[in-house]
Amino acid sequence: MNPGPFKEGAKAATPIILGFVPVGMAFGVLAQKAGMTPWEAGLMSLLVYAGSSQFIAVEMLSGGSGWLPITLTTFFVNLRHLLMGSRLSLHFKRSSLGILSLLSAQLTDESFALAMAEPSKIEDRPHYLLGLQVASQLAWVTATIGGALFGSLIDRNGYGLPFALPGLFICLLVLQIRSPTHVGMMILSGALALFFRWAFAGNWYIVLTAVVTSVTAVTIEWVRRKRKGQALEGLEP
Amino acid sequence: MRLEIVSVILGMAVVTFLPRFLPMALLSRWTIPEKLRWGLEYIPVAILSAIVFPILLSDGRGIPGVQWPFLIAAVPTFIFAWRVRSLWGSVILGMAIYWVLGFFL
Repeated sequence: MNPGPFKEGAKAATPIILGFVPVGMAFGVLAQKAGMTPWEAGLMSLLVYAGSSQFIAVEMLSGGSGWLPITLTTFFVNLRHLLMGSRLSLHFKRSSLGILSLLSAQLTDESFALAMAEPSKIEDRPHYLLGLQVASQLAWVTATIGGALFGSLIDRNGYGLPFALPGLFICLLVLQIRSPTHVGMMILSGALALFFRWAFAGNWYIVLTAVVTSVTAVTIEWVRRKRKGQALEGLEP
Repeated sequence: MRLEIVSVILGMAVVTFLPRFLPMALLSRWTIPEKLRWGLEYIPVAILSAIVFPILLSDGRGIPGVQWPFLIAAVPTFIFAWRVRSLWGSVILGMAIYWVLGFFL
């Protein structure tokens, strides 16, 4: 264990914690209303740790669903992590499988986006990402149990709290924009996501958008290089 | 704890772990083809846009329509994040605007 990067990562998690506390509490309240005990809700936040799937699971549990439909739904909702894991893997070529399994167990949209805001910080520094993710998950689990125990006492729609996670995602999106191509991809992805979300039920729109955008980006880059290659050939005597 | 709930939790834990772990384990050990690398470059911007735009421009069921309180808070958050590059500052600013808007809308 390397304490320097771990602490640095844990500190960097502050904006995520700010967003996770109200949402985790909201999950605790709903889980408790659906008949789960605070400890069962906490165990789900510890072992599953996937916000949207947890909300869906609680909804399905209270509707009487069994473990198979809930597990299948969870699987499809979280397929987008395949793409995030692929992207993150580029930075951990020298890490052991042990630490990679820990890092992937705690992968979330939020920690992925925060890590991608400054990829140089995670480059071969698994303990930085570990610190960031441990701090975030600690907030999520604590907020879940707290919400299940006392959540009904606090106004979760007050103080601008519903904007905490959308606000975080907007900033992280801004930090991703490094070139005119990124602006183009942002507009393309936004339009695709709105269409896919409207056209297909469920959470498919994120995966579909990411795949179509990536294929478009690869095609553009390929055409660009081909043209460049032709231009260079033309220059040769 | 009841067996029924614990079995749901364990099932969910397995299927959330696999898509997170498999690409991390496999791709970190393989040499990635150049074209796949170009595609991965835009995954973060694509996923973030796919999360943000529907929050601002469609309702809970995905029907397109402007979500005014979110959009009005989002614009200054976007500009502040662009200029100042501060995660904390931008989120707090956005939350404050959203909170104040709640008294008027």
